[in-house]
Amino acid sequence: MLDLIFRGSFIASGAAAGGESHAADAGHHAVSYTGVMVYVGFVIAILIVCMVLAKKGLNNRFFKNKITASFEQLYYFIENLAVGIIGPHGRKYIPMLMVFWLMIFVSNLVSLFFDTAPTADLGFNLAMALMAIGYVQWEGIRANGVIGHFSHFAGPKLTGALIGINFLIFPIEIISEAMKNLSLTLRLYGNIHGGHQAVTAMNKLGEPWVPVGAFLLPVKLLTCVVQALIFCLLLCVYIGLVTHHEHEEGHAHDDDHGHEDHSATLEPEASPA
Amino acid sequence: MNAPFALGLAALGVAIGLGMIGAGAMNGMSRQPEAIGKLQTAMLIALAFVELVFLLTVFVGMGALPK
Repeated sequence: MLDLIFRGSFIASGAAAGGESHAADAGHHAVSYTGVMVYVGFVIAILIVCMVLAKKGLNNRFFKNKITASFEQLYYFIENLAVGIIGPHGRKYIPMLMVFWLMIFVSNLVSLFFDTAPTADLGFNLAMALMAIGYVQWEGIRANGVIGHFSHFAGPKLTGALIGINFLIFPIEIISEAMKNLSLTLRLYGNIHGGHQAVTAMNKLGEPWVPVGAFLLPVKLLTCVVQALIFCLLLCVYIGLVTHHEHEEGHAHDDDHGHEDHSATLEPEASPA
Repeated sequence: MNAPFALGLAALGVAIGLGMIGAGAMNGMSRQPEAIGKLQTAMLIALAFVELVFLLTVFVGMGALPK
């Protein structure tokens, strides 16, 4: 609705300048602040309102405010995700992961009730994916140096005549790195936009009386959560891949063994019950 | 006729794959309930990759669909 109003006014103002069809075309090719950007603004407004409400509960000793408490839970969730996958140094990526999570999740929720949303738009998803993967490269270069980071792409260190294999692996790895952008984009876009398509298709079943597509809402709600989770999860995995250090991995390994031993001692007690 | 059929085939394969991942994860979870967190993470990553295959198929096949 908002979309129509804004685009309508845009076309009207353009028509005065140089013909209606020309203005409509320009809307598709140039950066336009009338289409999906309205929804981006809408999502950001929702987030800001939520955060302002959450900030009121911050001064208490413990959070009585429900919104503050749920933000706290979200923080713990993201912290688990980051520390669990990236390792102990993953704590510094929490703010970025929170931003991605909130943006994707809220715009997925918006997409449940409106005919478009930021995440149902290819450009917006591509922008997020480019930022995410670009940051992964930056972190990789910071952790391993430029040469170290790019020699990651060349596969294992081989010697002698086998070194030709590294030259074969390198372009393939570069391509797969670039494809990460595409896969993040298409996964999000396909799921959210595909949800809309499915609702449209199912609405045709009971066309004049029953909006059958509305029964897809629970499934789409599940998709909302899972897609936001998967985006953050994959980002964690990518960051973890480029920033993992040998000695830290050794520690994590030791911890794992400790945990396994612990559970092994627990299991006989639990099994009779 | 061909494009919808191909999309259906892709959906069939991906559905089998997703089902196998789900079944495997459930087996693992029931055998070792304390590993549920780790299994869920791995399961979601695998789901994402299998799902992507279908999405790519849809993007390639969508153009060939009859209007």
